[in-house]
Amino acid sequence: MDTIFNSLMEGFQVALTPGHLFWVTLGGILGTIVGMLPGLGPATGVAVLLPLTFTMGPTAALITMCGIYYGAMFGGSRSSILINTPGDGAALAATFDGYPMAQNGRAEAALAMSAIASFIGGIIATVFMTILAVPVARFALQFGPAEYCLLMLAALSATASMSKKNIVRGFISMFLGLMISTIGLDAQSGVKRFTFGILELQTGIDFLVIIIAIYALGEVFKCFREVHEGKKKMQTKFGKIWITKEDWKKSWLPILRSTPFGFLIGALPGAGGTMASLMAYNNEKQLAKNPDDFGKGDIVGLAAPEAANNAASVGALIPMMTLGIPGSGTTAVMLGALLMLGLQPGPLLFTQHPDIAWGLIASMFIGNVILAIVNIPLAGILVRVLAIPPKILYPIVLGLAFIGTFAISNSVVDFYILIIFGVVGLFMNKAGVPTAPLILGTIVGNSMEVSFRQALVISDGSYGIFVGSPIAVTLIIVTIASIVFPFLRGFIKSKKTVEA
Amino acid sequence: MMNFQAMTGIAAVIIGIAYSIQAYHLPRATVGNPLAPMVFPLILGLLMLVCGIILLVKEGIKKKEVTADQEKEKAKPKGLTRSTKLIIFTCVSSVIYALLFERIGYVLSTLLFMSSILFALNGKEKWKTNIIVATCFSISIYVVFLKLLSISLPLMPILEI
Repeated sequence: MDTIFNSLMEGFQVALTPGHLFWVTLGGILGTIVGMLPGLGPATGVAVLLPLTFTMGPTAALITMCGIYYGAMFGGSRSSILINTPGDGAALAATFDGYPMAQNGRAEAALAMSAIASFIGGIIATVFMTILAVPVARFALQFGPAEYCLLMLAALSATASMSKKNIVRGFISMFLGLMISTIGLDAQSGVKRFTFGILELQTGIDFLVIIIAIYALGEVFKCFREVHEGKKKMQTKFGKIWITKEDWKKSWLPILRSTPFGFLIGALPGAGGTMASLMAYNNEKQLAKNPDDFGKGDIVGLAAPEAANNAASVGALIPMMTLGIPGSGTTAVMLGALLMLGLQPGPLLFTQHPDIAWGLIASMFIGNVILAIVNIPLAGILVRVLAIPPKILYPIVLGLAFIGTFAISNSVVDFYILIIFGVVGLFMNKAGVPTAPLILGTIVGNSMEVSFRQALVISDGSYGIFVGSPIAVTLIIVTIASIVFPFLRGFIKSKKTVEA
Repeated sequence: MMNFQAMTGIAAVIIGIAYSIQAYHLPRATVGNPLAPMVFPLILGLLMLVCGIILLVKEGIKKKEVTADQEKEKAKPKGLTRSTKLIIFTCVSSVIYALLFERIGYVLSTLLFMSSILFALNGKEKWKTNIIVATCFSISIYVVFLKLLSISLPLMPILEI
């Protein structure tokens, strides 16, 4: 415990330098703005603002990205509350009671409560993370290549099978992502794979380009459909943004209840903020004295999912940081950015680069405080971005996507890949195929194959190594369970409805 | 018109088969196990094929039940919707943007690209806003990249700047 505390203090020394403070604030504000845009969430925010971090050192880049990630999480619910359009899936629950509150003339309280709940959820979850990060990383050090490969498989299949509509489609998306990762020169044998004689494909397709394509282009294309529906009226003048004592009395317990819950769900691969906030909402509705108030502007119905959502976003960083395996689209984007900086997150990050790892954790505390400051007194100014018509904002996002792509490789060839995968993302959306498994597959594909082959080299070609240790067997069971579980749940649900 | 679900299944089957064949015909490695570079891709291709088949079989069963939905789809007006046109327009502009980028440089090509998208999306009536936004965007991004991130974008290759 003492060592954790000392490391954290050293982390604060890293994070509290003026330069880093500036970046976390700037990242937070920009993230809030992107997160507020209807339809665009944290993944898009990080993807579009990525070029900002290209020339920074790894610590500054990581801290900035965390600011963006957090900011987008805070920002997502602004548009839920004010114009009933969630910035991303995780902010969906904030529309249930947040928007009715705004309509009842309580927009100020809703904005303040959303930021306060997010802040408390984020801070408590960061404390959990501080305590858990090192033990988890230490445990992961026992993993050999076979276990690593299986761990990635488990994370991928959990993400694929969490997709709401159809888990087969989730797996198709995942395999497509893994396939993309195999394009290019095979680093271990020098064999050219799937390059079709195109020189530029020899170095492989950069996963950052795929990320920007799917999360910026694809999402903007999707938003084109709603652009013409006419402008939604929005409140632009606000009184003092704060809550009443009564609001606080009603909400503090739901906030504290929802936080650990959200954190756990966030740490599980595949689940993420959307599920955490929706489940927290339903929990509170069941526990409430007057469940009928929910959906009509009950402040508890806003506070609980907001706390859970932010706690989940912190929880999601645990597998990413300690195992090097992302559990969601957004953390996959962050992992991709880290790899680009030459950092391999994982158990060794804490021993080899303690300054970076702890600097990041410390900056999460700081980021939370700064974002609470940005989002409460300045909320009235920031939300004016929402008054800018999306017809102008979406072209800007497109422009940023292209420029970001150019900054990655200094080559226009990636523009074509960007366009192609933007269209692929659009079609996937139309066909109900989730895009997150594809992103995850593209990013972990390489290391998954490397550990797969290393394992086979160790075992002299015997596949028995994949069931050769208790950890491996457990991971296989987890993988199978994650595939079977949705079927089981569907079965139980259909049974319940029959009974009802 | 075929529905998207069936198309997903067919696409998965085609990708699975094509990818597996390609994987099988990969050159053998000269160092280590000669088959090493193709095992992983081959597994991927085959599993993709399996997923596609499962999806198709599932859709085949569902099709008999869901005919009402298809009728609804038929009732839709023919021709492209406005958003589809916009998407196609954006893609074409993007390709032109890519073609122009290295020839006429970042600032000019971005200005053209942004204006075309803005005109399409925001309408001709607001041409003033469109041009102001496009100009400010291209120039400010150029300055931010150069000053803050020290990445210099190709300014005007024709004039050799």
